[in-house]
Amino acid sequence: MAVVETLGRPAQSRPETPAAQRRWWVAARTKLTPYMFIAPNMALFSVFVFFPLLYAFYVSLREWSLIDTPRYVGLENYERLFSDPQFWQSLRNTLVYSFATVPTSLAIGLVLALALNRDLIARTFLRSLYFLPVVISSVATAVIAAWLFNDNYGVVNMLLRRVGLEPVAWLSSPRWALFSLVIATLWVRVGFCMVVYLAALQSISPTYYDAAEVDGATRFQQFRHITWPLLRPATFLLLILSVIYSFQVFDLIYVMTGGGPGFSTTMVVQYIYQAAFVSSEMGYASAMGVVLFLLILGFTLLQWSVNRRVEDVA
Amino acid sequence: MSTINRRNLLKTGAGVSAGMYFGAAHAQAAISLNMTSWGAPAEVDAFNQLIAKYKDVKPNVSIRLDIVPSGQYYQQLDTRLAGKQGPDLFRAQYQQIGRYAQSAAAIDVSKYLDAGFGDAFMPSVWQAVSYQGRIHALPHHTDTFALFYNADVLEKLGVEPPKSIDKSWSWAEFIRVAKLMKEKSGFNYPFAMAWQNANAYRWLMYLYQHGGTLLDASLKAPAINNKAGIESIAWTQSWFTEGLVPPNTSLKSTEPTQNLFATGKIGLLLNGDWQIPFIQDQAKFKWGVTYMPRDVAMASDLGGNALAISRDTKNAEAAADFLKFMVNEENMRAFVVKAQLLPVRKSMVEKGVSYDLRPSEMKVFLEQSKTVPEHLVSTVVLPTWGRFNAKLADELELAFTSGQAADATAANIEKHARAMLTT
Repeated sequence: MAVVETLGRPAQSRPETPAAQRRWWVAARTKLTPYMFIAPNMALFSVFVFFPLLYAFYVSLREWSLIDTPRYVGLENYERLFSDPQFWQSLRNTLVYSFATVPTSLAIGLVLALALNRDLIARTFLRSLYFLPVVISSVATAVIAAWLFNDNYGVVNMLLRRVGLEPVAWLSSPRWALFSLVIATLWVRVGFCMVVYLAALQSISPTYYDAAEVDGATRFQQFRHITWPLLRPATFLLLILSVIYSFQVFDLIYVMTGGGPGFSTTMVVQYIYQAAFVSSEMGYASAMGVVLFLLILGFTLLQWSVNRRVEDVA
Repeated sequence: MSTINRRNLLKTGAGVSAGMYFGAAHAQAAISLNMTSWGAPAEVDAFNQLIAKYKDVKPNVSIRLDIVPSGQYYQQLDTRLAGKQGPDLFRAQYQQIGRYAQSAAAIDVSKYLDAGFGDAFMPSVWQAVSYQGRIHALPHHTDTFALFYNADVLEKLGVEPPKSIDKSWSWAEFIRVAKLMKEKSGFNYPFAMAWQNANAYRWLMYLYQHGGTLLDASLKAPAINNKAGIESIAWTQSWFTEGLVPPNTSLKSTEPTQNLFATGKIGLLLNGDWQIPFIQDQAKFKWGVTYMPRDVAMASDLGGNALAISRDTKNAEAAADFLKFMVNEENMRAFVVKAQLLPVRKSMVEKGVSYDLRPSEMKVFLEQSKTVPEHLVSTVVLPTWGRFNAKLADELELAFTSGQAADATAANIEKHARAMLTT
């Protein structure tokens, strides 16, 4: 009975005859099976994501240094957040970083996917090469990027000197540091975008292109009216994933610039980390985490609704 | 009068045997302690050697040493403590002890110490491990800053480094040598300072050298927003604006300054004694160490660490015994010699310690360690220092890299210091 209730049906009494009981059990088992399959994942999700998420709401209303007893402070942390210029700067940096990396990584990924979807020499090697930064630990990628862009002994500055140009303070100038991070991010992200687009391209039936060619469509027209619309689900997925990645970027920046110089590359997650583990202000860090969660949720819902509207029109 | 008969004898014998059996079992009850630390390879070796030595003395006590990268050390330790899974013993900088003492994460060890135990230690470090009259850690060692120099370069420039502390360079002389290096020796940047990785408090030594303080004498109010404070900020800011230090050596930078010196990218390095093994190993030129530059006063930084017992331990007495073993004269000497650090026992500081590696340079550091101002120690061991330290780093970073004016920086630091005092 309890089982039937959990499946959202009206309560029924358990059948009396053995045959009826067997039928009831078969029906119940069929309904239960999918829940049993997702149960381990849901258990892990609850322990490591859902519970910490709720706990963050709880902590955001408290002052807590992690090693002392939490003290209830109401909405004090949220009030402080709205008058903290460094929080707003980190939010601004995050938005600039997202605008600089998301469309660019999607565009470059698409161009690479289109190029590597053709018969090219060393096509597999090139695909692997672009995808390599995705599978390497992001900290290792960041260390390599930090070496490349190092002001004093970096390869990039060495090459600039070789061609007679002045070296650039890639990581230590507020003007260039964010730019260096964007380049490093693109290096990591384009491989992922490329693979998703490649998979989507390969699922497009060639008959569309054959028909379009018969109708005299140019290559651009084929892309505009066949490829791009059919890639929309992949673009939508990449857009959501890339925005979430950009809003949550941490390791790359932690290793390359530490959020500096000044606050020029401090992103929201970096600032949350600093509040939590450098200043030991878990309550304030949690309040920022809650705001970031709501921002990402709002942005995802917005994308979702826009995409649905576009789909409906299509 | 009792008589000894066979039954009584047997009873007594059985009692004695049982007592001996349980006594022996109690004496040898196995105790496992877990200790966490960060450390350079030489420090880790020194810890392991002493842990092995302790095993000889107390065979029933096993100590496991967990080494955590310094960048994540406090984050991991605090998380373990929050989850009631803290290690039995942990190492912490003197600047952190107040925080752990205030929250009772580091237990009061006073009851395990004999009367007058603290008299054997340097007053500055004993003060650093005391909180409200109770002792929450035992001082293990100290370290401090001095000036590493590329001897080949100075020789070519005809510059002689100071040979005694009273002849140390003034701020003006130091900058003159740095500029000479930049002009004549082809260095893009002549020197660097190691204050990265949450070590902003090291900036305070320049403030004290210039006659300033962060807090007033009673430690109740900020005292930085004045001429001495603003000039100290402006002086260190000028290192960046005049291109004397690499721009990527500001406080938030991730550049290890010792690498720059050891690879010959800079000619002078303001750093600590624990860098000697690395520089000895890596530098392919002649180098030496001289005293910190001075202005109206000489001052250096309170470095070093203490050993504490966490509130999660179930073997506080055994842990306290190990702590006392670690800080006795013989073992402190073994540790500091092996790890190239400085002792904190008065007798050892007075008599000196014979180092195998670079003994004359270590003598400079030992002498320099006596110049740590007492008021500076009282300031950086406040329980809320950790939170303020992050704000100090933010403000200095803005001054050094983003053009925030020295007077605005002093005003902001004053505001944060006030918040620290009222928290």
